[in-house]
Amino acid sequence: MKKRLATAVVAVVGAVIALTGCASGGGGSASAKSNCSNTIVQKNAPVVSVWAWYPNMKNVVDNFNNQHTDVQVCWSSVGEGVEEYNKVQTAVSAGKGLPDVVMLEADHLPTFEIQNALVDLSKYGANDVKSNFSAGAWRDVSQGDSVYAIPVDGGPMGLIYRSDIFQKYGITPPKTWDEFAADAKKVKDAGGPMFGDLGANSPAQVMALMIQKGSVPFQYNLADKNTITIKVNDDASKQVLNYWAGLVKDGLVGTTDQFTTDYVQGLIAGKYATFASAAWTPGYMTGAGIGKSGSGSWAVSPMPQWDPSNPVSVNWGGSTFAVTNQASDKALAAKVAEGLYADPASLKDGWSNQVIFPLNKQALDSPDFNNKTKFFNGETSNKDIYIPAENAYKGMDYAPFQTYFYAQFQDVLTKINHQQLTGDQAADQLQQTLVKYAQSQGFTVKE
Amino acid sequence: MKSPQFAPEASRFRPRGNPGSTARALRGRGAVLPYLFLGFLIVYFLIPIWWLFVASTKDAQDLFTSPSALWFGKGFNLIPNLSDLFTYDEGIYIRWLLNSVLYALAGGLGATALAVLAGYGFAKFKFSGRRLSFSMLLGSVMVPATALVIPTFTFFSDLGLTDTIWAVILPSLLNPFGVYLMLVYTSDAVPEELLDAARVDGAGEFRTFLQVALPLLRPAIVTVLLLSVVANWNNYFLPLAMLSDKNLFPITVGIGLWEGQASANNGGGYSLWGLIIAGCLISIVPLVIAFLSLQKYWRGGLAVGALK
Amino acid sequence: MATTLSASPSRQKPISDPVRRRSAQGRRRNVGWLFVAPFGIVFVLFLVAPLLYALYLSLFNKGLATGTTFVGISNYVKAFTDPNFLNGVAFVLLFALVLIPVQMAVSLAAALVLDAFSSLFVRFSRLMIFLPYAIPAVIGALMWGFLYSPSFGPLQQIFGANAPALLSPSNIFGALVNVVTWQWAGYYMIIIYAALQGIDKSLYEAARIDGANGWQIAWRLKVPMVASSLVLIVVFALIGTLQFFTEPEILAPISNGSIQPNTTPNIYAYSQAFSYANFNYASALSFALGIVVLIAIYIFMFATRKRGSILS
Repeated sequence: MKKRLATAVVAVVGAVIALTGCASGGGGSASAKSNCSNTIVQKNAPVVSVWAWYPNMKNVVDNFNNQHTDVQVCWSSVGEGVEEYNKVQTAVSAGKGLPDVVMLEADHLPTFEIQNALVDLSKYGANDVKSNFSAGAWRDVSQGDSVYAIPVDGGPMGLIYRSDIFQKYGITPPKTWDEFAADAKKVKDAGGPMFGDLGANSPAQVMALMIQKGSVPFQYNLADKNTITIKVNDDASKQVLNYWAGLVKDGLVGTTDQFTTDYVQGLIAGKYATFASAAWTPGYMTGAGIGKSGSGSWAVSPMPQWDPSNPVSVNWGGSTFAVTNQASDKALAAKVAEGLYADPASLKDGWSNQVIFPLNKQALDSPDFNNKTKFFNGETSNKDIYIPAENAYKGMDYAPFQTYFYAQFQDVLTKINHQQLTGDQAADQLQQTLVKYAQSQGFTVKE
Repeated sequence: MKSPQFAPEASRFRPRGNPGSTARALRGRGAVLPYLFLGFLIVYFLIPIWWLFVASTKDAQDLFTSPSALWFGKGFNLIPNLSDLFTYDEGIYIRWLLNSVLYALAGGLGATALAVLAGYGFAKFKFSGRRLSFSMLLGSVMVPATALVIPTFTFFSDLGLTDTIWAVILPSLLNPFGVYLMLVYTSDAVPEELLDAARVDGAGEFRTFLQVALPLLRPAIVTVLLLSVVANWNNYFLPLAMLSDKNLFPITVGIGLWEGQASANNGGGYSLWGLIIAGCLISIVPLVIAFLSLQKYWRGGLAVGALK
Repeated sequence: MATTLSASPSRQKPISDPVRRRSAQGRRRNVGWLFVAPFGIVFVLFLVAPLLYALYLSLFNKGLATGTTFVGISNYVKAFTDPNFLNGVAFVLLFALVLIPVQMAVSLAAALVLDAFSSLFVRFSRLMIFLPYAIPAVIGALMWGFLYSPSFGPLQQIFGANAPALLSPSNIFGALVNVVTWQWAGYYMIIIYAALQGIDKSLYEAARIDGANGWQIAWRLKVPMVASSLVLIVVFALIGTLQFFTEPEILAPISNGSIQPNTTPNIYAYSQAFSYANFNYASALSFALGIVVLIAIYIFMFATRKRGSILS
């Protein structure tokens, strides 16, 4: 009995080792290359490893590999957003384990720039593709003349809303935030659903809302890399946070983290009448099962404004491809960063499923793109809402410790949601925490 | 070590036979309350598993709109859900499952082998430095595995060992509690006379160990093996810290990755929550089967743990 | 030679001349080391070395805008004055104080019932109660997390709109206690049960002759007999609880912010290391937590007068 058990165990271990084929599991980008989530078409071409998480990446990579004979992409996803950044950070600290090319949201570029983890692409032809992008998008990826990533997509924001609910309560999309609050109250008083949601796990979204009012959270320039200006508790920031804290207090908006099971359930069940969100959101909502027949109809309008005579467009999310300093062939990696997700077929695959809002001007100008969109029931949402919003976006400075900022922001937003802090207190507490952290990291801080 | 409660009587390691007269007598006296209590516990311990099974049979739409979370939805979609699970992302889930098996068995077998040898060494030899090593062993029993993760990570990171299977397997070879269990068991279950007899017959120390001691240690070996396999199968923190390449993830870290993606942005065009639920269900199947089929070993083996 | 002396079943020692005997013993000593050595190597490589290395790292500091500098014990000073760390320690200490009695009560009661009765139903219960031990903590936490979600889980279907928000900041503590109790009570139950089964049954008969009933036998006879098992379980539960990581880490993404990166010291150290690359401070936090754990165990041992006798 014992012998049989032992034999079985040994056999299973052997089989597993054979199957996983990782008996020799080497480290670094070698291991990344042997474990692609896609097939390599040109077996003899040099391979560039890529980390990226976009839902249609497999199509995008296949497109790239089919169109190139001199280089092939080996793609894998190690997590979305923060999860990937943690892996990137760990590999940067370890000095090994990074892929050649990595997908990073524009707001996280300075975090890795300051650690010398990214390659300046201006030496590798980045400026050749500069004309494909708007000035705002290009500013987000550059520091002076240096370019640290190639933009893929952006997140111009609009007010996504349930047209059937709006109709039922006799309201039209609010043009100002004052109207937004008044409509929210009107709908609630009539026994309707909540008007939106302040998700503490979407700090980048709330930051965009603050910026719309004129807040400039950070001023930071890699040329003066030890100095940073932090202002997250100026009047504009405080007013926006107070505004949302008020909506929360009056029960006009929800406090559930976004994209949790409860939030998805709420969106499907019609618990939220609006979602002030980015152009890539519809694809993610569809993926979660929202917007299918029988669960309400969705539309989008321009973001409500603080000062309608002087409208401000803001951006939430959007990613780039950067080349890491651990890339073995930086020129080749740069070629991938510049060419991946840049061909018309990939871009169209992304925007037609509304999982990306392309920043490439060719895509933006194409007639198809300006046509009707699926999710919004035939609205020409790109043409009317998102393209103007994107064109008006000017770019901004991000902190070299954006992950830390978001984590702390999430903390105070949670406290706003639980009514433990007012907007003023939240902004002040956040400011204090960030200043202290920046100083402990050796920065000269201006407030 | 000499205190009587640690002395394992051979009888402890045999499955209990018929219930004694005690049990029968008590049952006769109306044991409604204890039975109600057990019934309540069964419901409590099974509810999450029941929910998991029911949820695994719902499609994405049903999952979010079904009127009852604890009962079946409109359709029975277990099979389509499982086929989604096994094909999503090139069948990465199956890979995670195999990785988990590899880490659990390699770590478990290795740790057990080391524990058996060391336990025997400590119990049967008065080598120099034994006292000091023994105190270190006792001290390290108090150091939980999680406390070592970050130090081990930084250490491995500078050695270039992170993000390999060894980064998960090697640290899980360390099981001081297993050594301690083997030590206690060996010193009581392997009589000195038997060893002396074998030595006198001219057997070398290793032959003595293999032929005389090892068969006697079987119940304890099974226990230590089961304990370490389960601990490695369930491990989350260590592989989470060590691994970046998702092809090396065990099931726990893989499902954690999906959960993070799902709640960040729902992983884009795919309802990951459904996959997570089906993935949870499948991940508990191997160990539950192992538990049910190895019941005899648990019952006998865990008495060793009870020594303590 | 020794072979000529037949092994006798009695305790009679083989006789040989003193010189040979001593060298044989010397050999046996070395052999003892050989048996211990494989584990010893693992012990040094994966316990001693990482700890020493982390201790070394914890004496330095590295900022984003500065290089690495030697800072002595200032990371420890920082840790023990860092409200994030101290609140985390307070959380896990309180957690242990609430969790362990609950867990003990459930597993002891279950073990006593299972020990006193015998039927198919009882054997089935034993298996079902033990089952969660076979389920990874990650999965257990996820399942409960889904059940806790007010509208996704069954709560609102059962309690309507006033369903308790089990993941809210005021309830998260109890929610976590429940997850951990569910996960581990069965395992502890089996350990106690095995100890109960090891008690000499004739003791019960004697007690019954003296007029004791089932409850009295359970409480006055069985519980004291398994006290050492209970103490050991408490020590292990205490160590595990103070190092609390997996369950809150898994529940965090669906907790609407009730679980933060500083909720427990281990999560805090993890986020310092892996989100912000503060490996130096994270190492110091790991050690600081280790110190807290040792103090807590010492206090517990002292309180139960089991000092030093628990494992030796």
